[in-house]
Amino acid sequence: MLLFRSEEHLERWLGRHGHERGAVMSLVQIWGLAQAWYADKLTPGWRRHTPDEAEAVFESLGLTGDFWRLR
Amino acid sequence: MSDVRLALFELFAELGRAPAPEEVAERAGISAPEVRDAYEALHDGHVIVLHPETRDLWMAHPFSAVPTAYRTHIGEREWFANCIWDALGICALLDGDGTVHTECADCGEPLSLAVRGGEVHGEGVAHFLVPAAHFWDDIGFT
Repeated sequence: MLLFRSEEHLERWLGRHGHERGAVMSLVQIWGLAQAWYADKLTPGWRRHTPDEAEAVFESLGLTGDFWRLR
Repeated sequence: MSDVRLALFELFAELGRAPAPEEVAERAGISAPEVRDAYEALHDGHVIVLHPETRDLWMAHPFSAVPTAYRTHIGEREWFANCIWDALGICALLDGDGTVHTECADCGEPLSLAVRGGEVHGEGVAHFLVPAAHFWDDIGFT
């Protein structure tokens, strides 16, 4: 997961490397994902998200569609 | 194994670097070989990532045990992160104001993001190349 200065820089990078566009996230979305994913990782009872839980996190941040489907 | 996981993450957070297996062993109250055995199980469970050849610690998300282009500062401490998700994840994990230093993946110009009072400030867009279902196919590339 890479950070780009702008959409223009992302498009230039995709073209230079011949990559298809994946999923683009705003800073607010990636920060929300970081909070949902890691805020509890220093607690003794932590466990990995189940696929259902992970998809629910993605959906709560507006990350929907095939790209974010886990099953 | 959960004690090893917690000891590893606590020490990584405290030290600003990957702890040695001996340090994790002391915290968890077991031997260093037992820590390495637990690391293998945690690797198999996609909780941490070991280097494919040396079996040394490589990633304990959000922390990176090796230098990367993503650095997170909180107070006097600094950690390497695996990607932009993880760089912000260190602020989330430690519930602290911090600054992420990285560079634009296209042009290489420095970029900084600040987390202050639970909000992120800065400019940029994040891009995920690999779909979620395939994150772990090649986690180093992801």
